[in-house]
Formats: sequence, structure tokens, C-alpha cells
Amino acid sequence: MPSRKSRFTRRKFIGATAAASVAFGVPTLLRAQARPIKVGLVHPITGFLAYSGGQSRMGAMMAIDEINAGGGIKSMGGAKLEALLGDNQAKPEVGVSVVEQMQEAGVSAYIGCFSSAVALPATQAAAKYNTPFVIDVGASDNIVNRGLKNVFRLKPGFNASVDDGILGLGEINKAAGNPAKSAVLVHEESEFGTGTAKLLAAKLPSIGIEVKEVMKHANPTRDFANLALRIRGLKPDLVIMSNYQNEYVLLARTLHQQKVDLVSMFSVLGGGFNYKFVKELPDVAQYMIDTNHWFDPTNPRAQAMKKRVEAKGDLFTFEVYLSYNAVKFLADGMERAGSADKEKVNAALAASTWSDHFMPYGPTRMVNGQNTGGKASIQQASRTDIEVIWPAKFASAKPVFPKPKFS
Amino acid sequence: MNWKIPAALLVVALAYPLVFRGNFAINFGVLVLFFALIGQAWNIAGGFGGQLSFGHAVFFGTGAYCSTILQLKLGWSPWSGLAASAGAGALVGALIAALSFRFGLRGSYFALITLAFAEAFRILTNALEFTGGGVGLLLPLKRSALNFQFAERIGFYYTILALTAISIGIAIWLQRSRFGARLAAIRENEDAARALGIDTFREKVKVMALSGALCALGGTFYAQYYLYIDPAVVFGVDKSVEMLLVSMIGGTGTVYGPLIGSLLLTLVGEYTRAITDAQGLSLIIYGSLLILIIGFLPNGLVDLFKLRWRRKARA
Repeated sequence: MPSRKSRFTRRKFIGATAAASVAFGVPTLLRAQARPIKVGLVHPITGFLAYSGGQSRMGAMMAIDEINAGGGIKSMGGAKLEALLGDNQAKPEVGVSVVEQMQEAGVSAYIGCFSSAVALPATQAAAKYNTPFVIDVGASDNIVNRGLKNVFRLKPGFNASVDDGILGLGEINKAAGNPAKSAVLVHEESEFGTGTAKLLAAKLPSIGIEVKEVMKHANPTRDFANLALRIRGLKPDLVIMSNYQNEYVLLARTLHQQKVDLVSMFSVLGGGFNYKFVKELPDVAQYMIDTNHWFDPTNPRAQAMKKRVEAKGDLFTFEVYLSYNAVKFLADGMERAGSADKEKVNAALAASTWSDHFMPYGPTRMVNGQNTGGKASIQQASRTDIEVIWPAKFASAKPVFPKPKFS
Repeated sequence: MNWKIPAALLVVALAYPLVFRGNFAINFGVLVLFFALIGQAWNIAGGFGGQLSFGHAVFFGTGAYCSTILQLKLGWSPWSGLAASAGAGALVGALIAALSFRFGLRGSYFALITLAFAEAFRILTNALEFTGGGVGLLLPLKRSALNFQFAERIGFYYTILALTAISIGIAIWLQRSRFGARLAAIRENEDAARALGIDTFREKVKVMALSGALCALGGTFYAQYYLYIDPAVVFGVDKSVEMLLVSMIGGTGTVYGPLIGSLLLTLVGEYTRAITDAQGLSLIIYGSLLILIIGFLPNGLVDLFKLRWRRKARA
């Protein structure tokens, strides 16, 4: 009689057959599924830009999840996007290190970097491999001006944003009977603030606004009392700011506390002009105007995404939708390229006429990696919300200009 | 003098990029050597000379701006700029030292004045037009070894290896030379050193100039490697702390301390970032390790090797 151990029962036969089917069948299934496309997200997740970096990451992840849920990149057999997460710590050397690390992990494209100081060397590092790099946030025009064929930016840079701001401010001022004739510029000391203020100072006279003084402040600055006193003494009609989140809010609050009467508080790429500011300091934020990257409020998809973000308890800041749209732009390029081949994706992005976004832009038109179809819009805060006031085509409210006086 | 250690280290360093060919690995090697260089620059003044500084970024930034401005405004070759930046770093080092020591600043007062100088330089470069102000300076991309912009990272690796080897060579020389002995005397007891007839003022100015020159070389290398500098990046407190930290963790006043510190800190920094995506967790791990090292090895990681050597000798 055979021992119990060696008996090959029917149950064992079925089990073995099932195991063999799994062992031989699964690899076939895996082969049938397209390999995921790795997209490197290079944002500052720690350091002084951590909040903005986190917001960018959230926007990019939302786009990746949406694309994957919709069947991935169809022209590549439904290949899914796989995010490689990197923290550039707002340091150039760390940014380069992250790029190299992701390259070894087989990245097909990068999205980043928030800080221009990181984006400049990081894009350079990616250029060695010709890996597409889509700038989601990063205003310096030098990023796209160096002739790197792998670098693309969907949003407008310094120059274009300032031009849009000047054009819009000129039109708003003219429509109100030119109440603003002079301005004081206040900017933070790095490339972003200095570059923007320099352009503004050169262009404001063209719309009949005299620049009384340009004031620079350090990052971080914890007290603007003296600066506010100087502004009060100069009696400008406008205070125009270009600074990051904390300093933007602090300066606005100080001017409000000191009841400095102005025709308006205006900013170009004002880092603190967002829903958080309106929610936390409605009295200070009310009537403030900012030229920035903003979503098209008339687009239902934008409103739906805003609700989704707010439902999670987060704020729908510009980083979220810029990174979201940057990923979508990249995915469109890959879809048209039909391959993750870097050369083909770069060519597809360079020839992009993508219009499936919810920004107040037309179809993309890349010139040396910069989307010339991009446009900044002008927003104004009410006590409870932020409204687009220029250009008229996308406006959700009329401007309050000049703003009511404190007295 | 045991020449086996530096010779073995040099062989390992020369072979490293030939074994680990990936750009990430080579970039890692560049970072280790770069921080070892600027850490050694700090160590020469702070460790060997006993002149603790919180503002060595002033020399680093001077080097970075000097070579970059000479290139952009006067069309100099970056290699000539490298030599000029060493001169500028030495000059700034000597100037700060002369001003500080002339008025008898020592210890923490000297450390604070160096910090103040670094901040003053940062604010100045932020304000001046020819330094590019807050916008900073961007070097045009022209890949060529003659232009100190190597097409492959390996070129940068061997350049920084040469600079770091020079800095280690200087540290070895300091251990064996009369100048080094005079510095040790000043570090241990400045009044006693003066009583022995050492011109403490002159020796301290000399060591600061030497340290400044080496640190400035690191600044030029940084500018050529990343091709972009701005005041916050090169004169920021971060840089001063980084060079101080690699020395302290590795072992101040030792020849290989900065190299060991740099290797560990770069490894920990890169590794913790690679293993976790959780926001800030890498920094928490990094910080915890620093606390442990400082707590259990107050003289730096070099102590670990010393302990082993002693045990071996006893055995």
C-alpha cells in the first residue's frame, strides 16, 4: 500500500494544475500589459518652499491618477504613468542629485521644480540624457532661453506675466479714469522678485504710472513696519509687490494695519495671493489685485477640480493646477508620440497644439520651449472669494478700482 | 609619516568612477569630494588653527562670483578664473582676519564676525548691479574641457578630486610643518604661544588666507558645475554650516576628518532621500544620526578608526 505522503490525490492534481496555470499564465498577462512610464516629480518637499512643493506634488499626482484611471497612454497600449517622487529641498545640488537618481531609475520625463535656482541646473542635468523636462512652476526666462531642446514650460514666464500685468493694469486704470499715476515697487531679493520688479520699473511708465521707489526686502522678513512707514511717506497710488507667500501676506497686513490709503494693492506673481489668504485674513485680502497664473473660472472642469481639492481640506492654489496641467500636457505629448522615446516625446511637445486644459490659454504653441499661447490673468479678492477681472473673456467679476479708502 | 593611507585613498578615488560608471554614482562622488574640499578649507582654519568660523561661505561665494564675473564681464577662461578666485579668497581671508585679530576678536566673537561678513557680502552682491543682484549670474552652456564645462561628469570628478587631494596634501603638510606646529600652539593656548615668541597675529592671518583660498576654489568649482549662482545660494548660512558640519562630524583638526564626514553625510543625505517619500522623514533620520554621532563620538568619526588602531596595537 502506498504511503499517505506519496499519494497523488485528485485534490493535489487540481492544485498543481492551478499552480502551473498561474506560474505559466501570469508572465503572459504581464507581457501583455504595457510597461509603466516613469515620470519624475522634482519639487521642494522640505525647506522654506515646502508648502508650495507639496501643493505641486498634489496637483501632479491628481493628473497622474486621472490619466491612469482613464486607461493610461492609449497609443502605448494603455501604459500607466508611474510617479517617481523627489524632494529637491530648494537646493540646486540636491535637485541635480534627484535628477540623476531618477535617471538611473529609468525616468521618461520630469516635472518640476518650483524654484528657478533649482530648475536651471536640474534641466541642464536632464539635457545630458535629452529627457523631457516640463517646468510646472519656475518663472525665470533663463530656464527656457538657453537652447535646451528637452525643456518646456506651459505657463508664461517673467516677461510675459509682466507684459500681461501691465496691459491689464493699464486697461483697468483707463476704464476707471486713470486714478493711479504713481507706484512703489516692493520685491523680495532673489531672482524671482528682482527680475519681476526690474521689468515692472521699466514698463510702468508706458501706461502713465511713475515709479516713485523700488524697495527690496530679504527672505525671510519678519517685520515690515518701517517699510510701510516709508511707503506712507511717499504717498503712492499703487503698491506693487513681487514676493513669496509669507512676506506677501505680512506686507499686506502691515499696510492694512497702518491704514495706508492706496488706489490699489497690485502684484505680479504675488506668492501669497490665494484662497488661504482670503480665508484667514479677509479684511486684508479684500480688493487686493494680483496678476498670476489662474484657472479659467468659466471652465466646469476647473470648478470640479477645485471642489475635489477643497473636499480633501486642501487649497486650490496655483501650484496645484499648474502642475496638474503640466502633467496633462506631457501625457498629451506622449500620446501623440506613441512612445516614451525621448526624441519623439520632445518633438511631440515642441509641436504641441494642446488645448484640453482649463487655463485661460489658447492652444499651446511652443517657441524655444516656451508656450507663447499662455497668458496670465488678473484677479481680485473679495471678502470670501477670488474673482478673475481681466481679460474680460474669462472675467467672473468687474474690478473694484480704486478701492474704498480707510477713512 | 605613513604614506600608505593617502596612497590607498588616492587609488580608490581614481578607480571609483571607472568602477561605478553611472552618472548618479559619479555625481555622488563629486558631492563627497566637493564637501570634503570645502570642509577641509574650514578645517584648516577651524581645526588646525583653532579659528572657529560660522561664515566661511564668504570665501566660497567670493570664489564663485570672482571666476564667474571674470568670465562673463572680461572673457577670462574659467581655469584662469579658478586661480584668480583662489587669490581673491586668500585676500578676503587675510582682510577679515587682519581686521578681526587687529581688534583682538577671538573665539565666539570671531565666529560671529565671520558670520556678519558672510551676510554683508550676501547683501552687497544682492544690491550691486555687476554681480547680477538678486537675479544672480548664469554661465552660458558651452560644453568643453577648456571652458571647465566637461561633457561628462567624470571630467568634473577628476577636477574636484585634484582640488580635494591638494587640500588634503596641505593638511598633511600642516601636521608636519613648523607653520602647523605654530598653529597648534596658538590653538591650544594663544597667550602661551605668544610668550614663546610666535607672531600669533601673522600666523592667524596666514591660516585664514590659506583657508579662504581653498574655500574659494570650491566656490569656482560649484559655479562651473551648476552654471548658476545667486547670493543666497553661495553666501547663505547653509553653505557655512555644511562645511563646518562635515569637519565636526568627521573630526576637526585631523587630516581625513572632513573627507570621512563628507562621505557619511552625503551618503546619509542621498540614501535617506532615496528610501523614503514621506515629507521631511529623510531630514529627521539625517538629524537623528547627527545627534547620535555628536553624542557618542564628540571628536568625530575619526575616533572610531583611532579606537580600532589602538585595539590592534594592543593585540
